[in-house]
Amino acid sequence: MSRDISRRVTLAWVAAASTLPYAASAQDAAATPAAWNDDAIAPLTAPGYGQDPDLQNPSVPWPLTLNPHQRGILRIAADLMLPADKHSPSGGTLHLDAFLDEWISAPYPDQQRDRALMLHGLEWLDAECRQRFNTDFAGASDAQRRTVFDLIAWRQKIAPGYERPAQFFARLRGLMMIGFYSLPEGAADIGYMGNKPSLGPYAGPTREALAQFNQAMTGLGLKPAKA
Amino acid sequence: MAQAGKTDAHKAGAVTREFEPVVVIVGSGAAGGMAAYVLTRAGIKCLILEAGRDYDPVKETAMFQTATQAPLRGATTPDKHFGYFDATANGGWTVPGEPYTNAPGSTFKWWRSRMLGGRTNHWGRHVPRFGPYDFKAKSRDGLGTDWPISYEDVAPYYDRTEKLIGVAGANAGLENHPDSGPGVLLPPAKPRIPELAIQAAARDLGIPCVPSRYAILTRDMPDPHAPRQACFNATPCGRGCAIGAAFQSTTSLLPMAMGTGRLRIVTNAMVSRVLTNEKGRASGVEYFDKSGTPRRIKARAVVLAASACESSRLLLNSGKAPQGLANSSGQVGRGLMDTTGTNIVGQIPALENRPRFNEDGIEVAHVYIPFWLYKEQAAGKLDFPRAYHYELGGRFAAPGGNPAGGLEDGYGAALKEDARRYYGSFISLTVRGEMIPNADSYCEIDPEVKDRFGIPVLRFHWKFSDHEYRQIAHGIKTAQDIIHRLGGRVTSPDLPPQRAIADGGWIIHEVGTTRMGSSAADSVTDSFGRTWDVDNLVVADGGVFTSNAHKNPTLTIMALAWRSMDKLAERMKKGEV
Repeated sequence: MSRDISRRVTLAWVAAASTLPYAASAQDAAATPAAWNDDAIAPLTAPGYGQDPDLQNPSVPWPLTLNPHQRGILRIAADLMLPADKHSPSGGTLHLDAFLDEWISAPYPDQQRDRALMLHGLEWLDAECRQRFNTDFAGASDAQRRTVFDLIAWRQKIAPGYERPAQFFARLRGLMMIGFYSLPEGAADIGYMGNKPSLGPYAGPTREALAQFNQAMTGLGLKPAKA
Repeated sequence: MAQAGKTDAHKAGAVTREFEPVVVIVGSGAAGGMAAYVLTRAGIKCLILEAGRDYDPVKETAMFQTATQAPLRGATTPDKHFGYFDATANGGWTVPGEPYTNAPGSTFKWWRSRMLGGRTNHWGRHVPRFGPYDFKAKSRDGLGTDWPISYEDVAPYYDRTEKLIGVAGANAGLENHPDSGPGVLLPPAKPRIPELAIQAAARDLGIPCVPSRYAILTRDMPDPHAPRQACFNATPCGRGCAIGAAFQSTTSLLPMAMGTGRLRIVTNAMVSRVLTNEKGRASGVEYFDKSGTPRRIKARAVVLAASACESSRLLLNSGKAPQGLANSSGQVGRGLMDTTGTNIVGQIPALENRPRFNEDGIEVAHVYIPFWLYKEQAAGKLDFPRAYHYELGGRFAAPGGNPAGGLEDGYGAALKEDARRYYGSFISLTVRGEMIPNADSYCEIDPEVKDRFGIPVLRFHWKFSDHEYRQIAHGIKTAQDIIHRLGGRVTSPDLPPQRAIADGGWIIHEVGTTRMGSSAADSVTDSFGRTWDVDNLVVADGGVFTSNAHKNPTLTIMALAWRSMDKLAERMKKGEV
């Protein structure tokens, strides 16, 4: 046996051993993850907005396609994903379910790929909740929903067998980030201060921003900028 | 701009009968706009034929609209390839009813705009000058072909062009990055914090990082026909600019030319052929209006400014098949080049949670990294020929994307913290490098496919060489060094150069294909864009490029167009044309 092969075998043992605690905890709650439905989904064929839309009067020409149940799951998920705090309201309050409906109902290839993932993912959230708690996602408590999220939400802690649902969750999160922080409330939360005209030269960084920056550069052994 | 003087193709007959143009210009973008500006000022009546629709940036530009006002928050789609609010109308990588093809094994992407002003309505507006080495690159490294002109021939036209279009920037006094003449440049904008960070790291590594040169006004530019305002430090330039701060043909060259009373513009006019008389001289052009009806216009001279590949297509579809017109050298379509490109992104912990302020500025990057290794290259210390530069990114960006840049994790309160923490902490270094022309990269007429007018389309052949791959590898490595010097981590995928390099055409700097030269045997035009074979046919666009320095081509296209049009006007005055 070559050294390479023995090293590979060792790595496989290490990988197997590292999954043991999760396998054990998953067994406590449910024997196996709910099945992930991989059925093909018929593509939407509504027209897009075309290559010369009226930029002064934008409109979404395609019909929304999610049903009230699916919208409900997304609204609850948006509240858990981006909960209200002192900086901004929650994702559900800001209607991220409507944004996602617009997104996955668009007749473009990227959005159609997202649509398949989202529809299967919403179905899976219901199935996993039913298997664990005998109720669908909407009927579960926030604590129960978090139990499910915790299996798929954290990059380094994805429960074994939950890779497909985790992929769905990561994309759902990414889309909710786009939806949330493009809104005025989200932009205010992260502190975007632009899109305002000002005459004369661009003012550049504030004194406070420059001071903090120069301190950071000094920490890296780099020359600070001139004020 | 005033509507007077603009006509749609289906009503063009009456206009041209009454107006009788002397020169017909095909295209209304950087080259066509400049051609019209120079010729009308010389007293010559011009007609522009534009394949796309009429376009009014003052009325149509989405200036302050936010992402939430657009479908899909403005995301790029197969309908709007640079996002919903991008200025491009009826164009992009695909144009409805106007395909192009790739030969087996080739991937070339061709961006076209079908609108008045062409690609100048949305272009990047980064306008570095070619330097002395760039016109004589073969003499330095033995590759490709030297230009028949030198930097000194073009320098006065660079000054004039910069002054006319308005360029914010500063003279850095660097090797092969020529300074502008006194009083030519407008003041540059102060750097943003991420740009200062890149500058600090670059300088520590011995790499220059200087104010970039952009065709954006930082001072008002009064004009009776095309008054343009200084940038008000907001709104994305790619959407176009209703106040004319960001240069585009439609708010500058075209209305200025129109102001002379010697320009008419016909839109929705897709030129299919250059017509010739029994003496082999150009007698006018044939074009199709929107309904597909063919029409003809006579002229004493024809100027091609349709973009490098479109002008080549016109020549190949004119004259006698299969050679086409002005192609006794066999060089039409040959020498196709793009700029090499790749993008390296890093996240910088030192930039996390930094104090907020308005970082819009004049929208484009306020500083850039010009090529700095000419001495090392001359000494044989580099494993690639020619140069590249970095265009830089990093700011508190306008809403529309993911502020955590994909680094977010989990959900709940922690996720919102991730958004605040990572927002504005990313930097990007975008490589733009020079490609050496090669025998495997060219365009020709596809033997079968035709567009909706029945005009044969282009088929592209494309191949990069190890020159480009080694250059990209160097660019990736140096960008990673800069990110690491800032204590950051590279977040873009670490790909080998063969996969990291952008597809041919992707950088939208396609030039060559009607190369200028000093001999009719191996080039299509003389040093003034006049085709060797057809005395009164001039190519004014990027087709005439002999080599494609890493410096974004549009400034050079305009400077050369000015020079060529001066020559054409002079010849017309002498009665030679």
